[in-house]
Amino acid sequence: MEFSLSGNGLKTFSRCITCLARIGNELAVEASSSQLEFHTLNSSRSAYQSITFKPGFFDVYTIFGAQVKFSVLVKAVCAVLRTPIQSIDHLRVQLPDPDASKVQWTLECNNGMRKAYSITCNVEPDIQHLALDRNGFPSSLIVRPRDLNRLLANFQSSLQEITIIATETTSLPSDADSETGEKAVELRSYIDPTKDNDSSLHTQLWIDPTEEFVHYNHVGDPVDITFGVKEWKAFVSFCESCEVDIHLYFEKAGEPILMAPKVGLSDASGSNFDATLVLATMLTSQLREENPSEQPQQAASIPAQAVRQKEPQAQPESSHRATASEHPSDQTKIWSDLSARSGSAAAENRQTAEDRNLSATDLRQSQRLGRIQISENVPAGAPAASRHHTREKGPLEEAQDTPQVNDNTFSQRHPSNWVDATEVDDDDDDNDDEDEMCIQSTPPYCEEH
Amino acid sequence: MSSSAVEPEAADLVCQLENVQGMVDSLSAVRWKRHQDAVVELSEHGIVLILEESNCLQAKVYLRKELFAQYDYNAEERPRFGVSLGLFVDCLSTFTVPGRATAIEIRYPGPDMQLLLKSLDSSDACIYAEIRTIIPDTVSWDYNFEPAGSVPLSFTVKSAALKEAIDDLEWPGSSIRINLKPAPPSVSFRGEGHGDLQIDLMYNANSDLLLDFNCNRPVSHRYKYKFLRATTSNLPSSVMKENRGSKLTIGRGGMLKVQHLVPVGRAPFPNPHVIDSASHQQQPGRIAYIEFFVKPEEEEDDARND
Repeated sequence: MEFSLSGNGLKTFSRCITCLARIGNELAVEASSSQLEFHTLNSSRSAYQSITFKPGFFDVYTIFGAQVKFSVLVKAVCAVLRTPIQSIDHLRVQLPDPDASKVQWTLECNNGMRKAYSITCNVEPDIQHLALDRNGFPSSLIVRPRDLNRLLANFQSSLQEITIIATETTSLPSDADSETGEKAVELRSYIDPTKDNDSSLHTQLWIDPTEEFVHYNHVGDPVDITFGVKEWKAFVSFCESCEVDIHLYFEKAGEPILMAPKVGLSDASGSNFDATLVLATMLTSQLREENPSEQPQQAASIPAQAVRQKEPQAQPESSHRATASEHPSDQTKIWSDLSARSGSAAAENRQTAEDRNLSATDLRQSQRLGRIQISENVPAGAPAASRHHTREKGPLEEAQDTPQVNDNTFSQRHPSNWVDATEVDDDDDDNDDEDEMCIQSTPPYCEEH
Repeated sequence: MSSSAVEPEAADLVCQLENVQGMVDSLSAVRWKRHQDAVVELSEHGIVLILEESNCLQAKVYLRKELFAQYDYNAEERPRFGVSLGLFVDCLSTFTVPGRATAIEIRYPGPDMQLLLKSLDSSDACIYAEIRTIIPDTVSWDYNFEPAGSVPLSFTVKSAALKEAIDDLEWPGSSIRINLKPAPPSVSFRGEGHGDLQIDLMYNANSDLLLDFNCNRPVSHRYKYKFLRATTSNLPSSVMKENRGSKLTIGRGGMLKVQHLVPVGRAPFPNPHVIDSASHQQQPGRIAYIEFFVKPEEEEDDARND
């Protein structure tokens, strides 16, 4: 097998290798007459990246025999591409025969140097295959990498896992203020409660998908997906350097998500090459609070998920009414510490936040990000269970607000914007999975203005 | 200090350098380790610095007296002393000012055999340094480089390309074999470790990579990577910017000589504080010569080399 690359194809190839290197250690290569496929699996088996090149992508592409399979260390390929791309005239990769123990990577440089790297390869690789049909995902979004980087910049750079909560966008009544778009999507930092996280920064970001995303489609109940940030960022960088948008397909917690570059119709090179990243998501949904001791919150590994069985989901779909017997988890304990609330008779006082010196609003202000505005209408109704991050405000709750928050006044400091276990006695806040109810935003901004 | 009066004991050497940066660059080129002791030899021809490691690698820096704006040598015997290279270079660096040329005077010996440095640039402030010297060991290093035969075996390659090649050759993690072939005229560097890498340089009319090539028979020798690396690891950026070439010669027994040329530029404008006894003409390309000698690794059969 032999292929050869130069110019822009080489640049794209180099970006692919960089991305693959950030995902996994071993690069599996499968070459057939119709395509060349690279894939890698990360060590925790929670990320799988696959890149496919059509023969037209290369300057030269020849293969002897039906199919060739081998694997090499990604680091070795990175060593080959250490030479700056602009000083390379072309790259030639040769596997002399299907059983060869070494693959030759030869660089012809512009200055006349020839560098021939001979990399040991494993010809009987244990190649995982993962093929997910992107049309089988009910929900998807398309986002520009630059916009996504801007959103991710709000999160602590050492963040390991992130949760995306997607809700259905509903049409607003006509009296909605134009500046209050519907914040149907939330990004939230996921902090493993079993780890020692006292110093972690928790961040929640509500965004309006029509503003931030090129395209957003989700119907039905809110879903959440929690997955690793490191591999995601690698793919985002890759798409950014290739100047393509990111298409993210998802279903719900526990099901893997798929990402691919969104190739425009005018992008001719895109037809020769495709990349996908599959990330496993955590089995436990963040939308419904469960006692962590009952549920090991581990990210699922891909092979189990890849089969897309209808495995019984960890969380039952029943609704949870807010009851005083609901025990806050360690997660919500954190929130409550942050959102110290003035005491109220009805408030549960399980948390110790009450006596914090910092005013809750100061804390919230310091953690407040630019985009958090809840503006949806709240259907009047009983303090029934709803999403923890949006709550209806009954009169009882309003009394519990921090002093600076007036009743019925929209405020960024609205406590219901935070996952807060002190609300336990109120409508349940603790991550109930209220499938029958839509996400409600807090209070009645629109009614007042 | 004015030297108008006759001093009780004239210093062995008083010299003035117009641009310290050039000296910093040339001495930095032979820094491959944190702690290195250099032997300095002063003569009527100039200053030579010699360094050595493990009986396998030797480096020399030649600063001819023509590089100096003033060079007063008064010793009877050639003074020889040892000094910590890192200390010397770091000390010289303190005299440099980014963006302009700074002039210094070097004087040896001080009252206690120190090396004395003094800034010459300003009339209202002075930087003054003393560096302790040590008596060097009188070990004779057998780095006698002799030509391999009647026809020299050498090639000249762009310094930047040589550095790039040697940096790339780190990946295999092995010693490096250098092959010279007369037909077709080519040089190759090869490492075989956990992976193989071969870098070929072809000599042809079009290439400006190999600037010179002399070889009448195939030659092949192996060198330890870390010593080969030392010959290019700290080449100053001025060498790359001026697109200079480095000459590699293989001598008897396979000893490798690597020569670099480091510009020790004159100041763009004459420095009024420095008495310039050199020619008033601007001499382009004032050069310090750097030489490295690398002993080859033992081969099982030495039949192919003399």
